[in-house]
Amino acid sequence: MLVARAVDEEAHRLQKQGALDLWPSCQGQEAAQVGSALAVGPAPAVFPSYREHAVALLRGVAPDELFAQWAGRTFCGWDPRRLRFFPYTLVLAAQTLHGVGYSIGQRLQGLEDFVVVYVGDGATSEGDMSEAMNLAAVESASVLFVCQNNGWAISKPAEEQMRTSVAVRARGFGIESVRVAGQDPETVFSACSRAAAHIREERAPYLVEIQVGRIQGHTTSDAQEVYRSRDDLTKTRAADPVIAYAARLSDLGVVDAAWLDAVDTEVRELCERLQKEYA
Amino acid sequence: MSPVRSAGLAESINATLADLLEQDPRLLLLGEDIGRLGGVFRVTRGLRERFGEDRVRDSLLAESTIVGQAVGMAMSGLVPVCEIQFDGFTYPAVNQLVTQAARIGGRWNGQVSPSLVVRIPTGGGFRGVEHHSESNEALFARYPNISVACPSTGEDAEQILRYAVTLGSPVVMYEPIRLYWQRNLPARDPGPARTPTAARIVRRGTDLTIATFGAVTHEVLEAAHALSPDVDVEVVDLRWVAPLDMDTVLESVARTGRLLIVHEASKDVGIGAEIAASVAEHGFGSLRGPVRRLAPDRRVYPPADFEKDYLTVGVQEIKDEVLVMTE
Repeated sequence: MLVARAVDEEAHRLQKQGALDLWPSCQGQEAAQVGSALAVGPAPAVFPSYREHAVALLRGVAPDELFAQWAGRTFCGWDPRRLRFFPYTLVLAAQTLHGVGYSIGQRLQGLEDFVVVYVGDGATSEGDMSEAMNLAAVESASVLFVCQNNGWAISKPAEEQMRTSVAVRARGFGIESVRVAGQDPETVFSACSRAAAHIREERAPYLVEIQVGRIQGHTTSDAQEVYRSRDDLTKTRAADPVIAYAARLSDLGVVDAAWLDAVDTEVRELCERLQKEYA
Repeated sequence: MSPVRSAGLAESINATLADLLEQDPRLLLLGEDIGRLGGVFRVTRGLRERFGEDRVRDSLLAESTIVGQAVGMAMSGLVPVCEIQFDGFTYPAVNQLVTQAARIGGRWNGQVSPSLVVRIPTGGGFRGVEHHSESNEALFARYPNISVACPSTGEDAEQILRYAVTLGSPVVMYEPIRLYWQRNLPARDPGPARTPTAARIVRRGTDLTIATFGAVTHEVLEAAHALSPDVDVEVVDLRWVAPLDMDTVLESVARTGRLLIVHEASKDVGIGAEIAASVAEHGFGSLRGPVRRLAPDRRVYPPADFEKDYLTVGVQEIKDEVLVMTE
C-alpha cells in the first residue's frame, strides 16, 4: 500500500512535468486493491479496469511498465500472459464480458477458470456489466467481480447513479454478493477470501462491492474541487486507508519506525529511478 | 448462358463448419438459436447433435454478450465462430468488435491473436420486416484490423471461412440471405482466386469492368450475359470489402477502360466510393470515361411492399447503366 501510494504520487509529479499524458489515480483504493489481490492469490487471471495499480504492482508489474501506456509509449507496458494481469481496458465494462468468456473458455479446456474482474461504480451503469453478470450467473462461471465503489462516476455521485447497491443488484442476477468497507485491507481480505472459497466450491460467480474513498480526481485532467465540497474532500482525506493502516500496524507493534524508514528509502529510490526514466 | 445448379450457400457453410469443428478442437460456434433450432436459417442444422452443446452454443439473446465473451474465449486460446441473427441486430455488438476484438492483438503487443469470426446474414429482397434486410458491411470496412468478407457463392464462403479461422484477427462474413437456399445461379468462369483474400474475375470481358460483391453479383452476371455479344462486360467479384483487392480491379480497368461499381448497400460513403477514389488515384490514365456507381440512395430500407423501389440494382438497371457508359 505504501509503495502503491508512492508510485501514484510520483505519477502525479511526472504528469505535472509533462512526462505522463494522463494518470488515473488509485489513491484511497489501496486497501481494497491489496486486500482483494492477496485474497485470491497469484493463480487467477485478472481483468482490470484502468486504475488497479496496486493490484498490478502486487502481480509483478514494474512501476516503469505501469507508466508506459500513460506516457504514450504503448497500449500495455507489461507482459499480461506471464503476470496473469491483463491489459487495462478503457472502454467501461468491456472487460467484464471478456472475463466471463475467458473463464468459460478455460473451463471448456480443463484449465484454471477462476477469474477476477475489476470494475468501478460508474462502469456498472454500462449494459456490458449487466450482460456479464447475467452470463456469469447462467453459465455458473467462476468469476469474482470486484466493484470498487468510490462514490463518483467522474462528477456523478453514486446516489444519482443507482437506486440499490451494486451488491443488491448482483443478487437480482442470481449472484451471491457482499458489500464491505474498503478502508481496512484485512476486512477486504476476509471478504474476498470467503468469496474466493465460494467460487472454488460452488463453481459459481460472486460479487464483492467495496466502499472506497476517492482522494484524487477521476484522472489528472479532472478538477474535482468544482463539484465536490471542501468538507467531503477533507473527510475523504482524513479516512485515508494508507495512513490509517500504517498507524494501526505501528500501534500494534507489527511494524516499527525502522521498518517504515526502510520502506521510505525503498520508495524514494524507486521514484528517483522513475524520474530518471520518464522526466 | 443457362443457369448452373450448385449447392446452396447455407449447405456449403454448414458442411464447412462441420469440417472445421471436426478438425480443430479449439473451434466452437456461438449464436442465438444456432443449437437446438439450427439457426433461424438452419445454417447450423444438426451441428449441436453432432458436436455437443459445449461446442455449438445457444447464446443469450444479447449481441454484445456474444462477441464480448468470444473475445475472452479467444484470449483463452479458443477459436469462436459467432453468428448474429440478422444484419440489423449487429449494432449492439459493434462496441465489442471495434474497440475490443479489433484492438486486443495490438493491446496485448501480439500475445493474443484472436481468430474470431462473426457471421452475419445480410441483405434484402425477401420481404423481411424492419431491421432484417440491411447491408452494413461498409461500417466495419472502415475499422483497421477487421476484415470484411462478402461471398456470393458457397464455394467462396467455404474458402473464406477456412482462411478466417486461421487469420489471427477478427473477420466479419456477410452471408446474403436470399442466396442461402438459391440453387440456380448464373454461370461464372470457374477460374480459382489467386489467394483466399483476392477478388475473383467471374466473367472475362473487354469493354467495361463491373466491380461488385455479395448477392447482387448474380444480377450483375445475368446482366452481363444478357448484354453479350453487343457489350462484353468483365465482372470482378470482390469477395472481400476490407481489405479490398484493388490490384485485381486496377488490372481489369487497365484492360477495359471503364468501371461501374454495383452494390446493394446505400451509395453514400460506401464501398463503391472507396473503389472509385482508388481508381481515380491509381488508374486514371486507363479510364475512357467516368467511373460510375449503381447503388440505392441513402435512405432507410423500406417496408417490404416498397423494397423493389429501394433495390435499384436489378438486372435491368445494371444493363441500362452499362449501355449509358458504353454508348
